[in-house]
Amino acid sequence: MRAFAALAATLALGAAANAAVPERCMVPHALVEPHALLPRVSHAVKREQKLDIVVLSGAPSQVGLGDGPRSYPWFLEKELRERLPNTQIRVVVRAAPRRSAIELIPTLPQILAEEKPTLVIWQSGTVEAYRGIDADGYGRKLQVGVGLLLEGGTDVLLVNMQYSPRTDAMVDAAAYTEVMRAVGQARDVPFFNRYRVMREWSETGAFDLAALHIGRTEYEEIHRCIGALMAEFLVRAATLNANASR
Amino acid sequence: MPPVVKPARDLRLDFFRGLSLWFIFIDHVPSNTIGWITIRNFGFSDAAEIFVFISGYTASFVYGRVMAERGFVVGAARILKRVWQLYVAFVFLSVFYIAEIAYVASNFDNPLFAEEMIVLHFLQRPEIALLEVLRLRFLLPNVDVLPIYIVLMLAFPLMLWLLLKSPYFALAVSLAIYIGAKAMDLNFRLYPVDREWFFNPLAWQLLFVIGGWCAVGRAEWLSKLLRSNAVAALCVVYLVFALWLATSWLFPAVAQRLPSWIFIFPLDKTGLSPWRLSHFLVLALLVVRLVPPEAGFLRSAWSKPLILCGQHSLEVFCLGVFLSFTAYFVLVEVSARVLMQITVSLTGILLMVALAWLMKWYNDMDRRARQPAT
Repeated sequence: MRAFAALAATLALGAAANAAVPERCMVPHALVEPHALLPRVSHAVKREQKLDIVVLSGAPSQVGLGDGPRSYPWFLEKELRERLPNTQIRVVVRAAPRRSAIELIPTLPQILAEEKPTLVIWQSGTVEAYRGIDADGYGRKLQVGVGLLLEGGTDVLLVNMQYSPRTDAMVDAAAYTEVMRAVGQARDVPFFNRYRVMREWSETGAFDLAALHIGRTEYEEIHRCIGALMAEFLVRAATLNANASR
Repeated sequence: MPPVVKPARDLRLDFFRGLSLWFIFIDHVPSNTIGWITIRNFGFSDAAEIFVFISGYTASFVYGRVMAERGFVVGAARILKRVWQLYVAFVFLSVFYIAEIAYVASNFDNPLFAEEMIVLHFLQRPEIALLEVLRLRFLLPNVDVLPIYIVLMLAFPLMLWLLLKSPYFALAVSLAIYIGAKAMDLNFRLYPVDREWFFNPLAWQLLFVIGGWCAVGRAEWLSKLLRSNAVAALCVVYLVFALWLATSWLFPAVAQRLPSWIFIFPLDKTGLSPWRLSHFLVLALLVVRLVPPEAGFLRSAWSKPLILCGQHSLEVFCLGVFLSFTAYFVLVEVSARVLMQITVSLTGILLMVALAWLMKWYNDMDRRARQPAT
């Protein structure tokens, strides 16, 4: 039965089967359902077969800067290429070590001018929460930053902090997530709740995020899952059919 | 001078303080799925408001009587004794917390969370961290209701004196401090660098004093307000509005149609935003109206555990904080599955009730021991 379904899917979508989210990463649909659209991404892929993405973050190790293992932006690019084979896809990472979203705002125009992205994936919250920066002020600044990006002609996708069970007790993650959700609603931009996804993995036992040590393989596996789920999320938010552009 | 107190203890206070203690415990177990049942998900305010308000009310109720009958010095001395107990409890809990975090920090080497580790930097100078705990400048999350309680109680002898002399003037002073702190962005500082108290005492004192004022003020217009159907209807409308905003993200179809000005961030917990304050007061008003002091359920066996917890709030609160670390430890070390979350939450509540019962047993025993002598 299952083989039949897989065959049907392959016939219907061509190479779609190998662009699916790995089973281990699976989370309930509602957790990765975009609540806003990415019209510029949609337009760029459909009309120009071209998609330039900038990942913006204050946490370099989470986005794979340096010579460490590969991180989710790398996997996102790979997963998007599988899903949108006829589109030219480029994912660039701009990370500023331990800079909060607030401190990144002045650099936004320069990043827009240099990279001319269609989409900015803005990951923030880690530095703010762990430095104890007031969530309310963070929300207002984030909203200003999102406004700047939208006026600069890009789409924006917001990504929150990771779920880190070992240090979760020491920060009020919920407050920063709520702020980001509200900014997303106010500016009508999608919000990828990475924290909630990772917590789900922790609760179902898919990944042991509380492990004191993990190897490169497991690290990359987790980031591959984030990349794959984010690619799915992005494709849905841009109302694109995976592989439909062939 | 207005009549200071009613003789009988209002069981509603104990009941709802007990409830707030349970909620605080459940919300403090990190990433606890059970947390969705607590009130913070259904409006602007949460259990912290209930706790601070009722603490202000009972402090005023208990120490107000002492101060009115035996003078300022005796009343103040009683309050300061309580402050000392709170301080000792705070230091004890902080030491326990630091030990737990230090264990994690010294064994942790997971590249996935390199950035998150900045939170542990204070451990490089443990001697400073410990000194800062004693100075109330090093507050760990979850312990943060205690230090604000300490500061509020420390200032309370003066405020209580003022409340007894002139309730409205006391309220005006409190409101002026609240507005002043908001206008000048004042808060207590924290170690390490550029952090502030999670609960700004200069803002939260207003709720504490409002609680105290309700206990001693007994204003006629307040009773009229409580009985008014029009006011009750307005309160219900406001609560529904808050509920709708708080849950709008659950219904994206609705949320997308909302105008963007409506995202008011009713989230400023640190400064006790007017949205939170008004939401709590409206909630309190409705509860007082709907639940009379002689309500039957307050005397039922089911309410007993809550009332017991509310009557021994300091001990139960401290145990709750301690248990929330332990629960977190179990969730991290053993299993984080939802069944385990339910188990640790229920076990924690049972232990809190057990402690409250034990405290009552001690108190009863002390009382019996004292009676033959007097």
